[in-house]
Amino acid sequence: MAHQSRRPAGIGPPCGRIARRTFLSDVGLGFTGLALGSMLHRDGIVRANDSEVWSPPTGQPHFQPKTKSIIWIFLSGGVSQLETWDPKPALNKHAGKSYEATGLPNPFKSPLFAERSRDVVGGARLHAKIFPLQVGFKKYGRCGVEISDWWPNLATCVDDIAFVRSMYSTDNDHNAEFQMHHGRHKLDEKQPVIGSWIHYALGTLNENLPQFIFLGKYTDPRVKENFAADYLGPQYGGVEIGLDPKNPLPFGNRAKGVAARQQENEFKFIHQMNTISSVEYPDDDQLRARIKSYELAYKMQGSIPEVVDITGETPETQSLYGIDNEQTATYGRRLLAARRLAERGVRFSLVYLSDYGEWDSHVELQKRHSQCCSRVDKPIAGLLKDLKRRGLSDDVTVVCCTEFGRTPGLEIRDNVALTATGRDHHPHAFTIWMAGAGIKPGVVHGATDELGFHAIEHPHYVTDIHATVLNLLGLDPKRLDIPGRKRLEIDYGSPIHQIMA
Amino acid sequence: MSASILDNQANPAKPCQTRVVFQSIKLDHFRLISNVAMIRLVWIFCTLLFSIQAKSADRVDYERQVKPIFRQRCNACHGGLKQKAKLRLDTAKTILSGGDGGPAIVPGHADESLMMERLLETDKALRMPPEGSPLTPEQIQTLKTWINQGAESPKTEAPETDPLKHWAFQLPVRAQLPSVTATSSSQHPIDRLIDAQLATKGLARQPRAEPQVLIRRLYLDLTGLPPTRQELQAYLKNPSDQAYEQIVDQLLASPRHGERWARHWMDVWRYSDWYGRRSVPDVLNSYGQIWRWRDWIIQSLNQDRGYDTMVKAMLAADEISPEKREEQVATGFLVRNFYRWNYSLWLKDNVEHTGKAFLAMTFNCAHCHDHKYDPIKNDDYFAFRAVFEPMEIRHDRMPGEPDPGPYPTYDYGKAYKPITSGLVRVFDKNLDAKTFAYSKGESRNIIEGRPPIAPGFPDFLGGKPFSVKPVKLPREVGFPGIQAFIRLEEIQSREKALAEAENHWNATRLEAENLQKTSKSPPSPLITLRLKQDEAAKAAALADLASIHARIDADEAKQKFAGPEAQARALLAAQAEKWLAVQNSGLALVRSELVHHQASLKSAAEAAKAAPKLATAQKAYDLACADLKKIDSKQPAYSPLSPTYPDSSTGRRAALAGWIASPTNPLTARVAVNHIWRWHFGTPLVASTSDFGRNGSRPTNPELLDWLAQELMHPSGAGTQPWSMKALHRLIVTSETYCIKSEPDSPTAPGLKLDPGNKLYWHFPRNRMEAEVVRDSLLHVSGMLDTTSGGPDIDLAQGLVSHRRSLYFTHHGESRMPFLEIFDAPDACDAYKRTTSVVPQQALAMVNNEFLLGLSQNLAEKLWAETSAKPVEDFLKASFETILTRPPKAAELKLAQDFLAHQARVIESESSASSAAPRPAHQSEALARRDLIHALFSHNDFLTIH
Repeated sequence: MAHQSRRPAGIGPPCGRIARRTFLSDVGLGFTGLALGSMLHRDGIVRANDSEVWSPPTGQPHFQPKTKSIIWIFLSGGVSQLETWDPKPALNKHAGKSYEATGLPNPFKSPLFAERSRDVVGGARLHAKIFPLQVGFKKYGRCGVEISDWWPNLATCVDDIAFVRSMYSTDNDHNAEFQMHHGRHKLDEKQPVIGSWIHYALGTLNENLPQFIFLGKYTDPRVKENFAADYLGPQYGGVEIGLDPKNPLPFGNRAKGVAARQQENEFKFIHQMNTISSVEYPDDDQLRARIKSYELAYKMQGSIPEVVDITGETPETQSLYGIDNEQTATYGRRLLAARRLAERGVRFSLVYLSDYGEWDSHVELQKRHSQCCSRVDKPIAGLLKDLKRRGLSDDVTVVCCTEFGRTPGLEIRDNVALTATGRDHHPHAFTIWMAGAGIKPGVVHGATDELGFHAIEHPHYVTDIHATVLNLLGLDPKRLDIPGRKRLEIDYGSPIHQIMA
Repeated sequence: MSASILDNQANPAKPCQTRVVFQSIKLDHFRLISNVAMIRLVWIFCTLLFSIQAKSADRVDYERQVKPIFRQRCNACHGGLKQKAKLRLDTAKTILSGGDGGPAIVPGHADESLMMERLLETDKALRMPPEGSPLTPEQIQTLKTWINQGAESPKTEAPETDPLKHWAFQLPVRAQLPSVTATSSSQHPIDRLIDAQLATKGLARQPRAEPQVLIRRLYLDLTGLPPTRQELQAYLKNPSDQAYEQIVDQLLASPRHGERWARHWMDVWRYSDWYGRRSVPDVLNSYGQIWRWRDWIIQSLNQDRGYDTMVKAMLAADEISPEKREEQVATGFLVRNFYRWNYSLWLKDNVEHTGKAFLAMTFNCAHCHDHKYDPIKNDDYFAFRAVFEPMEIRHDRMPGEPDPGPYPTYDYGKAYKPITSGLVRVFDKNLDAKTFAYSKGESRNIIEGRPPIAPGFPDFLGGKPFSVKPVKLPREVGFPGIQAFIRLEEIQSREKALAEAENHWNATRLEAENLQKTSKSPPSPLITLRLKQDEAAKAAALADLASIHARIDADEAKQKFAGPEAQARALLAAQAEKWLAVQNSGLALVRSELVHHQASLKSAAEAAKAAPKLATAQKAYDLACADLKKIDSKQPAYSPLSPTYPDSSTGRRAALAGWIASPTNPLTARVAVNHIWRWHFGTPLVASTSDFGRNGSRPTNPELLDWLAQELMHPSGAGTQPWSMKALHRLIVTSETYCIKSEPDSPTAPGLKLDPGNKLYWHFPRNRMEAEVVRDSLLHVSGMLDTTSGGPDIDLAQGLVSHRRSLYFTHHGESRMPFLEIFDAPDACDAYKRTTSVVPQQALAMVNNEFLLGLSQNLAEKLWAETSAKPVEDFLKASFETILTRPPKAAELKLAQDFLAHQARVIESESSASSAAPRPAHQSEALARRDLIHALFSHNDFLTIH
């Protein structure tokens, strides 16, 4: 059987109950009808008041998908659009001037300023004088897209990338990072993150692996909000896995002193005992799911170490990701693992390609950003090239994003003695890019104003990226609504068709 | 009883922000197809399906296709709640008769229908609906077709009912209990109400569960821990009703009961330890020391304090019983929502969660506009917020603990460590705080020209008249520094310091005298300096003691007298403090001299290094001396023993508490009993536990809900206190409804067809243990549970090290213990309902868990020691009874014996393969027994409460 579909609606027992016969025959026969995660999501009853009878997703796309997996690279702290992918020579021309003195419309007085910003944290933040570009720009590739000199490797990939230079968010503090992932401002009720929606909506491509994986390290627990399923339930949250094949996931290894055969025997015993119980409690759907969950756990435990074990990759491949270089090795490993996960059917890998707040350059922007770039340039370019040469760029889409951009003006804080050499947070304009399956290669979409302050041409709120990704996967976010959970228009976003192939 | 309860019908459209509930087995995995062909095939199939559906829609069905559109998008303004432009769209009749603009539709002529015109309007200002996206082309087409087909509708169509008549807004009525003979064999009121409803469906409840199942259910329910083997055996010997009731009383009296039920209430009351930036550390959300509120909940439940009293204390202990220091921690309910970066958010959360937790009303929906379903106006939202407007946080000192210091007001860019002593609470700081309405949910958009909004509550919930009486606060509340324990502790600590300084000085003096006796030469500069230092230390300690007395005198005088007397005392205190500063800097100077001298003994270079510090100390001393003369005798400034707070409170929150925790509030008792019911049974009577409004669910058994609410407020049992939760627990667990089997007794049980969702409780709803119960039971069953109660939250990293109960570990909006999270421990910000999942990670967390392996080993050794002289069956029987609270079945016994033997062989062969010295057989057997115990923890009967 090529795939296992759900029971068509209206056939079989109601409420997902399994007919007794089916149940008994399922137990002990390995994977027949039930699947992981399915497992159970049980906590009561459907609010039957809805206008239409609600049913959970079928696991199948709503329409023809253009991609199978997403690798979502996140750079935390706020990447300066101005020193990376959105050059603004006007900043050099007007360096040191106030916004008024540039002769250009004052961006603070634009209605866009009030419309798109909602402060959580008080305090006046000054960036009244234009800060010149801290790096040079050149045109690259056949498409001639201009990016900064800090991306020598990515520069060789621009013909495969679609840049969106007109992103905006609405929080001027780092909660914008979580907003990037679930679409809601700090002061509003949270929503499930994009990875969880995908996990919730789509069937798995490999039942031995989790569908939504987080790759990264952090000390600040708030980072978890980036892969929290919120009301979809914990089974749809991102599973954190580590890159050490000996300890790749929580409780993923046998305890010390327990031999493989010993554990296998114990798994078998558990299975047999629960199978006896299933005769006594034929109506217990949780029991049924539990038996299955132990089978899957056993398989998952066996398959994950293999996925993160990159020793089988050729030295050439490792070098492509910069794993042979101390400066780029950590992030290179993460991206290589992401490729291996995508290859094996993981739907969504959130690759946290920085420390929490690593790009946050209130001071010494030149030093910090050039360092940050040099840590990720090679690995990211390596990933794009590797996907392409393996033919995976037809199945995998890469997204590279951050929480917000940085101010065109120089940051000055009166209460802290800082050397003014950086840019402040700037939710009004930033750049993200996408590449791979379903993405139009070598294009630039949207634009900011002359100073890079406001996104003016084809502005996109963060959920437009979610909508784009969902669309590529063949999903319509509106059809994922759950009774009892109100979603707003802005939560759905609109796909950016201009960058889709 | 009408069938509508089962159908759970009624109520329009999309609900706003309530926990999702659904019950299904979800098959969200389909085997992956490496080529895209299969997906294509599915796609083609789907497309076909859609086109078929479109064709079959030829005849539009009003009830099924048209009405839902109005319900979803229009009826909030044109229905029962509001009738804008005098138009109602909730019945076809009123659609036809129309409103101010005439008939909304012309049957047969969509093109001429006013409604279609407004729906298709391109000018956004005129388009309907005015908010959100326009209707979809499919919806437009449906309406068009319906109109063109003649706008047919059923002859009898009821309009939406008057919102004020919504069931939850009427006071609960204690129903006449159904007669015993007709429907029920039980005298118990709950059974009679349940059975009566079952009878209408032709159902009967299942027989009573087996004693071992029942007793396990009861223990886990009331204490969160399964019975021990001894407790099981005792009950099995005498499974009488009397014995059962004795156990009920015993469990309700156990301190473990308060811990279990505190965890339940902490979900709804959103308990959270501080968070924000824990790694900095920087307290942004909630607050340090809030665990005292958790302990207050546990103690209050154990003492069976009334639900009303608890609710009142949580909202306004500072106004209702300001003199009770320990009671103030109850306001942790409000502190928990604290958000340092944005006070407006703090108030917003307090409105939302006070509304949801106690009233199951979604006041938050009226933040930006009038409520779409309930008669709550946008102004009502701000009137609710006004209750909290004067609030601020403060720290209070606790006896025997260091002074937590004054509450620091927020300064942008600073980090605030959590306080680690004292208590945290709220108080009214700004007594004349005004609340101004703002728009679009953005507190900066204050609507200009609107007068401030006074505190109050909507009339339909009995909120008027709302009388606020300011509360005069006891002296020690406005000025905590006058409390005897603070003064005493301050004096005692200084007396102790002085005694120590004196002892030290005496010892040095003795040492100098002895030196003098044995040596002819004059005393060395070193000993002289040391003497000088100790003398200075003594003088400083003395000055410190003097200054505390002077400060206490000044504090006292300020309370008692005005004018010159108080001023004179304040002057003395100020002088004493300055004198203390002189003594302290004098001491520092001598110390520097000593250091300098010691350095000079080493080398000139070392001396030169120490010289600047000496010079600085000299300067500081000179400054302190000069400062002594600079006292403003007219306004002498001294340090009082505590900050001063307002001597009265607005009484707004006391008024709120009085309105909520009142028998005349139609919601409060119902909301409480609904929670209590669902924690006993796993499913609530009203599915939307935090929304009893018109968009919420209807009660599955309204008579029962109301009867329980009345029973909570006005208990029928003699001597039972009103609002006693323990009395209600007792009532519920002694009902037959609670004691029945969870598994239908036959595969043809009629309930499986007639009530598959078990909404009528014809069998007991089986469920998995909640996360905390899983962990606590593992420890308890292994005999390793540490029952220490209360105290500061324990670091998460100790989760699989410490043996304390789970509710004592750090639990906050950003983190929970990973082991608990895997078993669905809820987010501290969103736990009105819990979910239960079954995922492989849980299996891994049970199997690959060294902590659990350790517990298993411990238990295996213990049980083996108890039974080793007997056949192995006894060990197995003991294991099953200890872990699963039941003896093994024959098949299980056989299986377990085989496992033990086989596992021992495996272990033995593995060890001989891997190490030089093979394990002796008895070791392999012991490990096999450990593995058996360990495996039993993964038995479905351990995790499941049948």
